[in-house]
Amino acid sequence: MLHVKIPTRKEVIEEEKSKGKRIAAVYPIHYPRELFRVFNIQPVEVWGPPKTDTKKANAHLQSYICSVVQSGLSFYLEGYLDIVDLIVVPHSCDSLQGLGSIFKDFIKPKQELVTIYLPREKNKENVEFLANELKRIYKQLSQLCGFEPDDEKLMEEIKTEEKIDKLVFKFYKSRENLPLSSREFYTILRSREYLPPDKFKSILEYALLHASKGKLKKTGIVLSGLLPEPMDILDVIDDMDAFVAIDDMACCMRRVYGEGHSSDPFERIAERIVNGPPDPTKGNSFDERFEFIKSLADLTSAKGVIFYNVKFCEPEYFYHPILKEKLSKAQIRSLIIENDINEPLPQQTITRIKAFIEMIRESS
Amino acid sequence: METVKSIGIDAGSTTLKIVGVNEEGKILFSIVEDADPKVEEQTEHILNKLKENYDMESSKIVATGYGSNLIKADKKVTEITCHAKGIYEYFKTGGTAVDIGGQDNKVILISKNGKVIDFIMNDKCASGTGRFLENTAWRLKIPMEKMAELALNSDGEVKISSTCAVFAESEVISHLSRGQKLEHVIKGLHRAMVKRITSMIYTVGFNPPLMLSGGVAKNKAVVKMLEEELGEKPRIPENPQIMGAFGAALIGLSQ
Repeated sequence: MLHVKIPTRKEVIEEEKSKGKRIAAVYPIHYPRELFRVFNIQPVEVWGPPKTDTKKANAHLQSYICSVVQSGLSFYLEGYLDIVDLIVVPHSCDSLQGLGSIFKDFIKPKQELVTIYLPREKNKENVEFLANELKRIYKQLSQLCGFEPDDEKLMEEIKTEEKIDKLVFKFYKSRENLPLSSREFYTILRSREYLPPDKFKSILEYALLHASKGKLKKTGIVLSGLLPEPMDILDVIDDMDAFVAIDDMACCMRRVYGEGHSSDPFERIAERIVNGPPDPTKGNSFDERFEFIKSLADLTSAKGVIFYNVKFCEPEYFYHPILKEKLSKAQIRSLIIENDINEPLPQQTITRIKAFIEMIRESS
Repeated sequence: METVKSIGIDAGSTTLKIVGVNEEGKILFSIVEDADPKVEEQTEHILNKLKENYDMESSKIVATGYGSNLIKADKKVTEITCHAKGIYEYFKTGGTAVDIGGQDNKVILISKNGKVIDFIMNDKCASGTGRFLENTAWRLKIPMEKMAELALNSDGEVKISSTCAVFAESEVISHLSRGQKLEHVIKGLHRAMVKRITSMIYTVGFNPPLMLSGGVAKNKAVVKMLEEELGEKPRIPENPQIMGAFGAALIGLSQ
C-alpha cells in the first residue's frame, strides 16, 4: 500500500491565493489550462461536486439536466465559489452551454465569466476556429489581469502541460505495477483538476517510484463515462478482485492530449484539444470512439468495459448501443450503468457490476 | 442421515430460498419462506432445524440475493450467475433465462456451454416485477392466486399505459371507477407487466428457448401472455422459485 498526501481543493485555493494567484472555477470538460496559468491564474475544476444538495439549482433547471450541472449551479448558489475570481464555462454540451447562459443572463456573478466555444470533429478549420477563440479569451484575461504575457511564456506553459500529459500516460501504463487501489489511483490522477503542475508532477513521480515488476493478478476493467463518482463504484470493482486498468473518462483519459506541432502557441493549444482522445462532446465518430476504447483494452489486460453514465448525459447515451455492438463483435463485453453523482450506489447497480465481473471472468 | 455436500441460500427481497444438494447435485431439500428483515437469524434457524435430519458438517454454503451480505457463507455470488447456473443445469440447454422476482427482473442470455453471455436487470424501479401485481392485488383486495385466474378467463382487456407499480395502481382504480370490468382491467395489468418483460428480453436479444424462474413464473396468465408476445412456449421448472438457490448450491459443489 502506497500512502500519498494530497492537499484538498480548499488547501490549494488558500495557498495559491496567499501567493497572489487568482483562482478560476472551471466547469467540465475541455479548457486550456496553460492559457490560465500564464496569467497566474490557478484553475480549480468543479465536477459537481458530488453529494451536493441541489434544491437551489432545481428552481432554475429542467428536471432532465444531469446531476453534474445541477450540483455545479447549486454549489455556486450556496456561496461555495465566492472565493474564486473567475468562472469558466466551456461549451461542452447543451446543459453546460445553458449553465453559461444562466450565469451570464440571470445570475450575473460578481466574478469574471469566461465561456469557451469548443468546436467538434478533428479538422484544420476547427483548429483555426479554436485558436481564434483562445485569442479572444487571452484578450479577456489580459484586461482582467492588466498584463499581456508573451508567446514565449505561453509556449513554456504549453510545454509543461505536454510533459505532464506524457507523465500521466506513463502513470496509466504503469497501473498494473502500482500498489494502489482504484480509489487511490483515481484520487491521485484527479488531483490534476486543482493542483499546480509542479505539485501534481511530484506526486505522480513519487507514485511511479513505487512501481514494481510484478503485475496485479486481477481482472482489469475499462471504465468509460464522465467521472467515477460516487467513488464507491471503484471499491465495488476492487472488492470483486478486479480493478480499473484504464479509463475512457471525461475527467481523466479523454483530457490526456498529445503534443501540438505548431510554433504559434494558440494554434498549438487548439491542436492539442481538437486532436485529443475521442469524446462524445466533441462529436467524434463511432469508429474513432470504438477504436480508442479497444486500444485501451488492448494496451492493458482489461477484459470488459463498464459505461458508467451520468443520468441525462445525452452525448454519452447517443453512442452506447453502437459501441456495445462493435465491442461485442470484437469479443469485448460491456455493461451500461446509469448513475447520479449525488446518490449512493443502489444495490441493483452493485449487483450488476458484480455480475458483469463474474461473467467476464468466467468467459476468459 | 444423508450428507449435504452444498447449500445454496438465495436471500431475495421478498422470499428466502434454501436448497441442499448431494455430491451429484441432486436436490435433497428446498425451503421457501417469506424473507424476514433479520434474514441472517432466519437462515440460521432454518439450517439448525435441517441439521436434525441431514449431515451438514462439511457442507459448503454459497449465498446470493440482496440479503447475501448478511449471511455467513463460504462464497457469495450474484443472482445472475446463480440463476444462470441453476436454469442451465435444470434444463441442460442454453437460451434465454427470465427470472421474474418480487422486486426485480433479470434476463440472462446463456451460451450452449452454460456461460452467461449477457444480461439485463431492471434498475431502481419495480416496473414489471412481482410487486407490480402484488400492489394492485392488495389494493383491490383480491388474493394473488385469483389474479391470474381472472386474467385468464377474461373476455376483454383494458390497456394499462403505466408500468410504474405506483401509477398503475391509480390507473386501475380510475378504470374501475369508469365502469370497466374488473377482469378486463386485471388482464390489462398482466399485459403491461409482460410487455415490460418482453422489452427487456428484446433489449438483451432473444435467443430461444425461453426459460422462466422466480415466483411469478407460477402465474399462468403471465406465462400465457409471454408465449403470445414472443411466439415461444416458455419452459418452467417444477419449482421456479428455487433456481437461484439451486444454482448457488451447484456452484458450492465446485468449491
